[in-house]
Amino acid sequence: MTKEVMRRTAADNEYLHKDFHGALSAGIDYLDEHFGPEAVREYLDQFAAKYYGQVTDALSSRGLVALKEHFERLYRIEGGTVRVTLDDDELLVEVEACPAVTHMRKNNLPVARLFGETTRTVNEAICRGTPFAAELVEYDEQTGRSRQRFYRRAAS
Amino acid sequence: MISCTDFIPAYSELFKFLEKRGGRPAVVGFWEYLSDNFLGNFRSLIEEHGLRGCWIYWSHTLNEEAADFTMELDEEAGLFVIEMHRCPSKGRLLENDRIEPYHDYCGHCEVLYGRVLDSLGFEYECDLSKCDQATCRLIVKKP
Repeated sequence: MTKEVMRRTAADNEYLHKDFHGALSAGIDYLDEHFGPEAVREYLDQFAAKYYGQVTDALSSRGLVALKEHFERLYRIEGGTVRVTLDDDELLVEVEACPAVTHMRKNNLPVARLFGETTRTVNEAICRGTPFAAELVEYDEQTGRSRQRFYRRAAS
Repeated sequence: MISCTDFIPAYSELFKFLEKRGGRPAVVGFWEYLSDNFLGNFRSLIEEHGLRGCWIYWSHTLNEEAADFTMELDEEAGLFVIEMHRCPSKGRLLENDRIEPYHDYCGHCEVLYGRVLDSLGFEYECDLSKCDQATCRLIVKKP
């Protein structure tokens, strides 16, 4: 039998490895089991504040349209059925089924008890320090179907 | 939702968070947990196909991760090698100016895959001496 060789460059493929959702889910479960649910939220909050800082900056300077663009980009990459509606001071993101949850269910990968925090906590972290707030109006743990609302905070 | 294309920075930040909370044992404990609970498909492929299981597994993952690599399988010699010319994960971390990679980010590969391969009687070596350039070499041998 001869030696088999495979050579690939980065340009040969699209970067989309959905099994990573399962690894993140396992990480959330591990944190939850060993350090508790608050550790899950603290981790996701710290990550989102740091990594999505540009989205937060854009939200502050350009308003909800920046967040609309963020979600449109996210679901363009991941696929799934989503409706994004922007009014003057409110953005509504309605996701029929979360692409991450769909992938994990389809491939028999465990979905973490607190996986919904990747939506709730991450959205809240992105909005912190801006004139806008995030609310997870609905979230279905089985499918990840959700209604995410972003609105202008009341003046204090 | 965090896109799977944003996972690697989230993974690296998780290692840092765990180390801050529970020290190095918490990080290695997580890698072992992931190896035991998340790599069932990798284990099954090795059990069913032997060394070729490595070829099947990494053919799928490295292509989806858009890696720059050369992979070789020589079943007669009992040798499987990945020359990672540019690791997509470490490469992305090095390019990101918002996230400083976890100091031993590449160490997770050794634990995750080594733990499975070792338990199935394969020898596993990972040369990480150039991992600061997103380059490494992985060798699996069937004794």
